[in-house]
Amino acid sequence: MKIEDIRIEDALPVVFEHDRVRASEVWRSRLKIRRGERIVISAESGTGKSSLCAYLYGNRKDYLGKILFNGDDIRNFSIGEWQELRRRHLSYLPQELSLFPELTAMQNIELKNSLTGHVGRDRIEEWLQMLGIEARADFPVGKMSVGQQQRVGIIRALCQPFDFILLDEPVSHLDENNNRIAARLIAEEAERQGAGIIATSVGNHLLLEDAVTICL
Amino acid sequence: MKIINKLLRKNLSAAQTAGFILSNFIGLSIIVAGLQFYLDLRSIWDSEDSFVRRDFIVVNKKIDASGLTGASELTFTREEISDLESQPWVRSCGNFTGVQYQVSASVVGNGGRGMSTDMFFESIPDEYIDVADGGWQYVPGKNEVPVIISKDYLTLYNMGFAGSAGLPQMSEQMMSAIPMRLRLRSEKGDKEMTLNGRIAGYSNRLNTILVPQTFMDYTNGLLGSGEKENPRRLIVDVSSPGDVAIGKYLDSRGWELAGDKSGSQASYLLNVGGGVIVGIGMVITLLSFFILMLSISLLMQKNREKLHALIMLGFPLRDVGAPYEGLIVLSTLAALIPAIVIMLLLRGFYMGRLAGIAGMASGGIWLSLTAGIVLAAIMTVVNIISVRKKVKESF
Repeated sequence: MKIEDIRIEDALPVVFEHDRVRASEVWRSRLKIRRGERIVISAESGTGKSSLCAYLYGNRKDYLGKILFNGDDIRNFSIGEWQELRRRHLSYLPQELSLFPELTAMQNIELKNSLTGHVGRDRIEEWLQMLGIEARADFPVGKMSVGQQQRVGIIRALCQPFDFILLDEPVSHLDENNNRIAARLIAEEAERQGAGIIATSVGNHLLLEDAVTICL
Repeated sequence: MKIINKLLRKNLSAAQTAGFILSNFIGLSIIVAGLQFYLDLRSIWDSEDSFVRRDFIVVNKKIDASGLTGASELTFTREEISDLESQPWVRSCGNFTGVQYQVSASVVGNGGRGMSTDMFFESIPDEYIDVADGGWQYVPGKNEVPVIISKDYLTLYNMGFAGSAGLPQMSEQMMSAIPMRLRLRSEKGDKEMTLNGRIAGYSNRLNTILVPQTFMDYTNGLLGSGEKENPRRLIVDVSSPGDVAIGKYLDSRGWELAGDKSGSQASYLLNVGGGVIVGIGMVITLLSFFILMLSISLLMQKNREKLHALIMLGFPLRDVGAPYEGLIVLSTLAALIPAIVIMLLLRGFYMGRLAGIAGMASGGIWLSLTAGIVLAAIMTVVNIISVRKKVKESF
């Protein structure tokens, strides 16, 4: 079943519990993101941006309050349900990318695509070309620059069906041109699937058109 | 899938894996080959006397040199029996019952040439006899009774009597096929019955002619007094036939052990030796099991980030554990199969040498094969469970 909406209700990372209350549109608040919406979460560093992504991806549970998918508390999801969500409904590009440095760019992408069978190889090659790294396709990722690695990570994140795509600082090392291309690719793929986009940023925003910016 | 294998087996230590395979191979070889050797040797004792189980000994009183020992002094009193039963090495104790009438047996050969002899019967409780498929049952009134005779009697006939009397020598099978006519007569000669005897088997360990207890009780009642008399011999189920306490106790009472003592002592030594060998094999196998468990867990620790990254990509936990599970199965097989081969080779070698020993029968290899496979399977399953647990922890 598709994730139609994500609700964040009165949530707060446990580590912030005793901190002085700060104005936030996410923490200790009520936020509802519907499928198809585009959100850029603007944050200062240390305000729990990566924690929020980890909570939404089922990776960590150290928060107060509730996070709900279609009204269901995600704390109660089993490992099997999370793995199914991660393959079919929720795509995630972590800030640290989690690429395998010993594998080539193409192998990293195909590892994910072999799991979902979502796109053909020609599509992957087209994306590599659009992001200007087609010449690096057979290079071990460990030998690429962070900016190049980010582009590989973005393509990998697109190689699956999703209702929401979570991108944690996806373009922090990209120039404006590549940022625009990446934003267009992501927006196109999200639109094709009717999916929502949640991207975080500490400064270099993903240049999405029609995106709502909220402050963390 | 291949990429996952490549990723997750990186950092695999060839030396550790080889160490596991080698030690597991040695451990399993010792267990499987040791067990097989034990079972093959065991078959010598077991086949020697399949009617009386090996943990039984027969006890009687010594006849002294004067020859004046009275018949009553050779029997065991109720007190003596209960004292024997109270010994720690005694599991249970049964009486030999003798006949209270006269027995003569005749056989009629093919040419009508017959042979007749006076003889006797004894019986022991049925639980001490092990004849398959109700072959040791007698229903009162029936015209046929099963008997077990001492193998020594057949030997005496073949080696001593048959040659000098110009009679043919006979195998166990031939002897069993000859109809034996039994004539039972009361001491006074006023009552008589005749019936057929069927040889149910030959025994090495009991120097007597055995009939079922039901037959003994029935005929003693019919042709004798039917009263219970004190037994002259006792059959004793002992917990360990080689126990030195048995010999000491019997000496102190002036009693003796009938039948083959060395057999039970050798059997005891075989049991102990077999136990020690299989025990050593178990220890080595257990250690090798821990080597594998440790090296896999070390490998997973080194690849922890990759495990986590694969799970983050949405790979089913099953798929993430599969390369390690495959590694466990493969390396266990790499130890088990050569161990079985070694066992078969060794067995081929010693069976050739032991073939001459009387009673040497093939013990069958299924038990030791099953033991090796079951042991390897248990180790594999436990290791796989531990891998799955670690994968789950990486979620």
